[in-house]
Amino acid sequence: MKAFVVSYGDLAKLIDEAKKSYTIYGPVRKGGSYVFSRVDGLGDMELNYNRTILPPKKFFHLPYEVLMKFKLRDGFEIEAEAKAEPIMVFGVHPCDLNAILRLDEFFSRKFEDPYYLSRREKSLIVVLNCRGAKDEYCFCASLNTGPIAEGGYDLALTELEAGLFLLEVGSPKGDELVEKLNFPKAEVEHLEAKERIKAYAKNTFHRRADFEGLVPAPLDHPVWEEEAKKCFSCGTCSLVCPTCYCYDIYDEVGLSLKEGIRVRRLDSCQLYEYSEVALGGNFRRERKARLRHWMTCKFGGAGGGRYSSCVGCGRCISLCPAGIDITEVASKLKEVVKYA
Amino acid sequence: MGKLRIGVFKFTSCSGCQLSMLRVNEQLLNLLNLIDIDYWVMVSDVKGKGPYDLALVEGSVSTPEEIGEIKEIRSRSRILVALGDCATYGGLNSIRNYMSQREVEKLVYENPTSIRSTTVRPLDYYVDVDIYLSGCPPDTSTIVEVIKDVALGVPPRLPKYPVCVECKLSENECLLIKGEPCMGPVIKAGCGALCPNLGRICEGCYGPAVDPNAESLLDKWREIGLSEREIVCKLRKYAGLSKEFKRWSGL
Repeated sequence: MKAFVVSYGDLAKLIDEAKKSYTIYGPVRKGGSYVFSRVDGLGDMELNYNRTILPPKKFFHLPYEVLMKFKLRDGFEIEAEAKAEPIMVFGVHPCDLNAILRLDEFFSRKFEDPYYLSRREKSLIVVLNCRGAKDEYCFCASLNTGPIAEGGYDLALTELEAGLFLLEVGSPKGDELVEKLNFPKAEVEHLEAKERIKAYAKNTFHRRADFEGLVPAPLDHPVWEEEAKKCFSCGTCSLVCPTCYCYDIYDEVGLSLKEGIRVRRLDSCQLYEYSEVALGGNFRRERKARLRHWMTCKFGGAGGGRYSSCVGCGRCISLCPAGIDITEVASKLKEVVKYA
Repeated sequence: MGKLRIGVFKFTSCSGCQLSMLRVNEQLLNLLNLIDIDYWVMVSDVKGKGPYDLALVEGSVSTPEEIGEIKEIRSRSRILVALGDCATYGGLNSIRNYMSQREVEKLVYENPTSIRSTTVRPLDYYVDVDIYLSGCPPDTSTIVEVIKDVALGVPPRLPKYPVCVECKLSENECLLIKGEPCMGPVIKAGCGALCPNLGRICEGCYGPAVDPNAESLLDKWREIGLSEREIVCKLRKYAGLSKEFKRWSGL
């Protein structure tokens, strides 16, 4: 695997080079928070960000997209709408990278999703490894999804010391971009420095998550009722979750009533409508049932209990207006599971 | 497919919902391919008596005359839409229900002896309503959506979920978490999170979302420091008569 040592100035060069082929997105400040946004260069970005409001999934599994256009003439004409532009997402944290890798898996199972996959194929992901927990909400270390990425990226950066980065190449696409730039090759000492940072970084997390044995979760535990009393069913937890992929598909007919579009929209299992069926039936009418459904899905229910679909990014905790904390719920459930 | 014969009516209200309907701008001509305006005083001299395929009724019912009129309109309409908050919940003007009739009338009229008003009620207090299109005013796109869906004969696709969904997808910072008394978590989406996108709290103009957890929001507001009086006023403002909020709005 190729690795280089680059300065802040070199990173600016990297982005300038990338701009020839990609539109660049990176973390920028929005009020007291951060969002992934289109940037002109390194100077627009806030590399010391904790987490963005929406994860990078917004670039691949879009909150709203047109899947096709249709026309009713003599028959029924359709026109697929798959436009993928080459984008570079710069400064992705390892938790978010791992989430993208899980989405990749989901969208390429038995049925390949051409919309998602075409956007992924055209993308280039530059990971920015974390030198430690960004704040009290981070808990990737206990789920092995960070703070250092172990692969699956195109390029990965680790800040070895102020302004000096180890740049690791993880894919042919990443290689193609850096090979023109003649950056100095990394020496053994640099790789060792990264290992030291990794060993240190893992121990900086105060928040832990242990979801093992929680699938199936105890369904009648009082914690569900307690949390449901606070919960607004507003959908924030799942909308900001980097691994939540549930979506809704519907048709929007134009005013002519002879043409229209088929739309895919990000959905949330926390919303009442999500589990609604014909004639007003609803599988999860109670707020408690919806909250429990989402959490058990994150504990690993969606993966058949084989792996958790949580990557420990901390968004659902830090952005929940009701102050609900999945790690706290898990530890309350664990007490019961442990003695069962 | 024939055109829909429509009637647009105004009860106790400000005409803002009708204006929102007119804001279709360049889509107006396309809209006119779908509808024949049989009665809409704001835009046409034609004063047809129906029967209407679709009646869009703005405003609440607040006088004895209006009680008769809404029943009359219902009897001439196949589908009746409550257009906006006044028609759906009683709306802003329902805040007068919390004072005595005489007291309110004196505040507004010098000589209230000729005023004959009743308690402010939403349309469905008197007649069956087929479609509720809340908002103060409802967004133009949702009004067009309803007309289109009626033409197609399908139930309209209107959000029941809270404003937070639209707000989060706009990547706004949560105002409630920042300690501002936002109503977003209990209010129906449809506006595109208009106010939070501008850094202002949701005032609640789309009325209650489905199954809102008002108890939890009230706890938050008390933590923030809102008085009980302020809480009551917030819940009264647009939809105090709604089944979701009337427990707290105090009537």
